[in-house]
Amino acid sequence: MANSRTNKHAYVRYAVIRLIQGAITVWLIATATFFAMHNVPGDPLMDEKAVSPEIRKNLQAKYGLDRPLLEQYGIYLSNMIRGDFGISYAQENRRVNDIIREHFPVSAILGVLSIVFAALGGILFGALTAINRNRLPDIVIMFLVIMGISVPSFVFAALGQMTLVNVNAFFGTSILPVAGWGSVSHMIMPSLILGLGTMAFLTRLMRSSMLEIDNADYLRTAISKGLPPTRIFLRHQLRNAILPVITVLGPSIAAITTGGFVVELVFAIPGLGRYFVQAVQQSDYTVIMGTTVFYGAFLVFMVIVVDLLYGLVDPRVRLD
Amino acid sequence: MALLEVSDLHVEFAVHGGSVQAVRGASFSVNEGETLAIVGESGCGKTVSVQSIMGLIQTPPGRITRGSAKLRGHDILGGQAADGREIRGTDIAMIFQDPMSSLNPTMTVGAQIAEPLIVHRGYSHRQAMRRAQELLEMTLIPDAASRIKEYPFEFSGGMLQRSMIAMAIACEPSVLIADEPTTALDVTIQSQILDLMVDLQRTNNMAIILITHDLGVVARMANDVAVMYAGEVVERGAVDDIFYRSAHPYTVGLKSAMPTNRRGAVQKLTPIQGTPPDLFDAPAGCGYYTRCPYAMEVCEATPPIVFDVDREHQSRCWLHHKDCLQQVTQIYRP
Repeated sequence: MANSRTNKHAYVRYAVIRLIQGAITVWLIATATFFAMHNVPGDPLMDEKAVSPEIRKNLQAKYGLDRPLLEQYGIYLSNMIRGDFGISYAQENRRVNDIIREHFPVSAILGVLSIVFAALGGILFGALTAINRNRLPDIVIMFLVIMGISVPSFVFAALGQMTLVNVNAFFGTSILPVAGWGSVSHMIMPSLILGLGTMAFLTRLMRSSMLEIDNADYLRTAISKGLPPTRIFLRHQLRNAILPVITVLGPSIAAITTGGFVVELVFAIPGLGRYFVQAVQQSDYTVIMGTTVFYGAFLVFMVIVVDLLYGLVDPRVRLD
Repeated sequence: MALLEVSDLHVEFAVHGGSVQAVRGASFSVNEGETLAIVGESGCGKTVSVQSIMGLIQTPPGRITRGSAKLRGHDILGGQAADGREIRGTDIAMIFQDPMSSLNPTMTVGAQIAEPLIVHRGYSHRQAMRRAQELLEMTLIPDAASRIKEYPFEFSGGMLQRSMIAMAIACEPSVLIADEPTTALDVTIQSQILDLMVDLQRTNNMAIILITHDLGVVARMANDVAVMYAGEVVERGAVDDIFYRSAHPYTVGLKSAMPTNRRGAVQKLTPIQGTPPDLFDAPAGCGYYTRCPYAMEVCEATPPIVFDVDREHQSRCWLHHKDCLQQVTQIYRP
């Protein structure tokens, strides 16, 4: 028989083990990125115009690019553990840490808003379609869901922006800003657009999990107890139907934060996604490493958080 | 007057290309403090009958086309009294065949037992949980104080069925419907659960409708028995009438298909040949016609009416017609 004290102990133990596993994952990401990056033809100095071999040599010496690869890897790793991602090659005098610190919060706010929107919308619409299955709301929502899954986000981003332009023109005043970043009103449309695909996916998942539970024995028990329908729905059906949705929230966060780049670009949002892509194009080693490892660590952490959350929602999850 | 009286109940289910007549005129009743057993093989409409009383039939596809269920004279068919009052969980409660899946996996057992008290009796959460603990103690679950905080997956099958019973009797119902409550449990646990039900019946003066296909359980628990076949009640009477004065060929068939440990008894079991009729296309005459060893010409096309064999003992069989000349020693005729 499990008592709450051993449960709590097991929970902490589980969390620590997961964090250690997460750290190993991040190290693997860092290593793989490092060697993949150095195997791509070219280097950060390629962009410089007609650099004489001597200058080039001096520059390489300055940045340590002339040392053996393994030594560079060692230096990089030891810096990373101390939390120093180095200085950007492409943007003079900008530390990678500063780039992340300045731009990640923007991406994070956008991502969190999108996830909240996607989860709430997915649960709501999924439940709605399941309750009205094969009736008009179900058919309409499921059609929109197919669209949400199959149409890429840059199309929605452009459409969303156009809608804003038209709406603002119609009212003759700025209801919501068309692009840019700064206030809450800037965040609404981009986060809706960014969360749309995930919301569509979660709606489908929620619908099928609701329908699966529809015939569950414990719902019949709840009815036989004479409980009011809203209570049956909220306490007995919804809570059990949400479990699969929570499971996929972790990977969904991954999809949204890495997929944010396109939306950030269309809406001119100064997020981290843009630097992430730019750095790859410029072979900006330190920025690539910094952003990749940072994103990787962030995603690993979010998946762990979701798993721990799942343990709280579903009492059957064993933590050993 | 009986406490709960079901008469001429008809239930059908819409299926592709027509409808299945799952219950085709079931009548039975149960008295206060007594036990009615409904027996019959799988698919004969036992469960559908009681589920339609409780309003557990999904409509569509299900539909109650005719009949009534009267609790103390008030029609309650579909789970609600005529004045819209909820009788489920208060006047009538139900326990199910598979306790493992009949409890909500994400709610503590205590909270699930407390739920009807909060909803129907207006208990506070704290009061209801205290009562839930008492109920678990009544159903003989050890260490009830810590058990109410646990989840169904931490319970064994027998304990879950005890919890189901605790939940069902929370509001002290006058009728408890038990749909094969021991089928999923092993024999020793089965015996304990039945004992528990008898005890609670005595203390609460509660009527029990017990659905089972185990004649041993019937002999042990029932005051009255209704034998169902192909959606109809073919014989009903006191338990001794059914066992010792069987008046319907199907009842006789069921009895000879039952194993016995009586010394000197014939060891061989005699199965009833054939299968029950397809209720999608219900037979015109008697549903048992194709399997009945005593079938007569009249049985094929004319459905038998209900004959009074004795007072309080009825059989739906043409053998009891006064003009029937066939002599069958196994069929009781006064």
